[in-house]
Amino acid sequence: MLKILDFFNYARSRSPWIVHFCSGCCSLEMLAAMGPRYDWERYGYVMTPTPRQADIIFITGLVSKKILPALLRTYEQMPEPRYVVAIGACAFDGGPYNDSPSVIKNMTEILPADVFVAGCPPKPEAIVAGLEELKEKIKRGEPSASSQGGLWKQMKF
Amino acid sequence: MREKLKEIIGRYDVEYIEDYRSWVKAKLKNKEDLLPLIKELKKAGVKSCSTVSPTDFIDENRIEVNYFLENLNPTKSSKEEEKVNVWLKVDLDRDLQNCEIDSITPIMPSANYHELEAYSTFGVKFRGHPNLRYFLISRDYYGKFPFRKDFDFKEHEKNLIENINAITDEFLEEFEEHEKTIGHEGSRTVLHWGPTHPASGPIRLKVFTNGEIIEKVEPDIGYVWRALENLVERKDFIGAIVAVERICFMDNPNPMICYSEAVEEIAGKEITPFAKYMRVILGETGRIASHLISMGSFFGTMGLQTFLMWCLDVREYFLDVLEDYSGARIATSCIEPGGVRYPLPDPEAWFNEIDKAIKKWEKVKPDIEDIFLKNPLMTKRAKNTGVFTLEDVEEYFLAGPVARASGAKIDVRIDEPYAGYADLEMDYVTCENGDARDRLYIIVKEVDQSIGLIKQAIEKIREGIEKGEMNPSKDHLIKMPKKLPAGESVRRIEWARGEILMHLVTQDKATSPYRLKIKTPSVNHTMMLENLLPGHTLSDIPLLYGSMHICQGDLDR
Repeated sequence: MLKILDFFNYARSRSPWIVHFCSGCCSLEMLAAMGPRYDWERYGYVMTPTPRQADIIFITGLVSKKILPALLRTYEQMPEPRYVVAIGACAFDGGPYNDSPSVIKNMTEILPADVFVAGCPPKPEAIVAGLEELKEKIKRGEPSASSQGGLWKQMKF
Repeated sequence: MREKLKEIIGRYDVEYIEDYRSWVKAKLKNKEDLLPLIKELKKAGVKSCSTVSPTDFIDENRIEVNYFLENLNPTKSSKEEEKVNVWLKVDLDRDLQNCEIDSITPIMPSANYHELEAYSTFGVKFRGHPNLRYFLISRDYYGKFPFRKDFDFKEHEKNLIENINAITDEFLEEFEEHEKTIGHEGSRTVLHWGPTHPASGPIRLKVFTNGEIIEKVEPDIGYVWRALENLVERKDFIGAIVAVERICFMDNPNPMICYSEAVEEIAGKEITPFAKYMRVILGETGRIASHLISMGSFFGTMGLQTFLMWCLDVREYFLDVLEDYSGARIATSCIEPGGVRYPLPDPEAWFNEIDKAIKKWEKVKPDIEDIFLKNPLMTKRAKNTGVFTLEDVEEYFLAGPVARASGAKIDVRIDEPYAGYADLEMDYVTCENGDARDRLYIIVKEVDQSIGLIKQAIEKIREGIEKGEMNPSKDHLIKMPKKLPAGESVRRIEWARGEILMHLVTQDKATSPYRLKIKTPSVNHTMMLENLLPGHTLSDIPLLYGSMHICQGDLDR
């Protein structure tokens, strides 16, 4: 029998709202995914300008040290349950900026991601595919990775 | 002009004066001579400072500061009168106490942010700068000067959490300071526009307002600072392409052209005509892809997303062209020192792809003109708002479409032709008023110009193949030496948003760049916001900001 909470999870998974936050170049491919050719609104994803209404935050590629507090603050403002999608190689280990003195290399240790989308930058199809995977996770009602731990809890922001 | 400039510089104590492409290159012996010389140069017509680039020669215990001063001469085309620029060098002591020089900002305001950047990254103090402060770098690097050769960033990285907390503390301190200085009485307040504003991208404008009127704007940059100039020093000459192309993904091929030409010059190699025209086609395709986003986001920041969607639709076709050639949509890595990376086994198939994209644009263009460009609401909003005069262009070194919207005849493709542009027919595309609306119109005109250039370049390649002079499956790349001799080169290219200047320094038997300074146009355009926005209302910020076509990627590097 379908429990009422399962129904909430199902409903949530059908229309995840994404907070409008870009910290790196992968946001350009996000823009393309929003655009007419890939059009992620077909799947129910909508960008929202305020974190208060959002379910998902993107780590769009590189995160420099200076923007990290803003990213964490935006994440903190989102209501539970909240999910993190990491796009691009930089979100995993710094990618092409691995040698750079100003880019954070262990972003997902700080803010653990539920889904990784590989590529530099990933194609819009890949971003949509990654989000579809996240949908399944939301539907199953699994807790998000970032609520389980991560260095972000030790940081000031 | 050249003789006159040489004569002026010759009056001072110089080590050498020589001609270098469009530059007069000289090295001053005394740093005290700099200020009087620059005053005289400004009178002679060299009015804009392109950038200030220190190079750290740690073995010789000196820091060499390069001043790139440009003679924009916006009323004359370079065919009427050659535009001669000046490149000055001064040696400074490497020791932090004595690493000091007079600031040229009071004479040339366009040097402002470039001097701040040089101070933050190299520790060169500029005496007499109106507001010398740490800029661009994040709080944890204050006072450490990360671009100096003896800075150990691996050691620095170990204290990540403390570093982040220090950055947060800075925000909080600033907030408290504003609370104290402004208080809660009256209608004065500080608003932070960005970095999470949907229209801003990762930049923060501190907007000091009184009611709705803006009194002062302080841009706070560095949110996407990747230290690319420092990063390339740890890569080889081909690997540096990966860093260079990531200046900004909107117009991806053009920075690679600039870097590749700088490397080719030091290596003393000449690329094939086929590669030259390929660079034109790829560069112009990148320019169109970038312009389409600029166009769309102009309306997007005003609150109308429809046009952005239309533009993104056309852009996909131009990205298909890049993808067809290189396999990647926006991170193409398609140009490298020695030519272009991939052969073109079936040129006609690729030209068909280009044709498809051009046809798509030509099909949409009449609708765009009718619905958006002649839009009465937009006209009312943007006409006569944020006007730049030709004096502003010279004073603050506005470049690219922003300058040409004011009627300035500035275009590196004509003034100092690179790649295959010397053989192609083109003229300056300009508008007259220099207001926000013209900065949209110029973009549309430039897309048409780019399409014309692509067609010409395709014709040249077809002719070459017919005559048997070009072989698309072999001519794409010449062999480049692995190790480069000591030397330095300066290259300028016309990027989608203005002029990019790269200053490359190599040492003997080098396998990687010793120093690469990248000057990008958005720095000056952001600097201009400080003068442009005060007096306007808060609702004008997105419009004027959108009209400057600023990209944070190239602003921070």
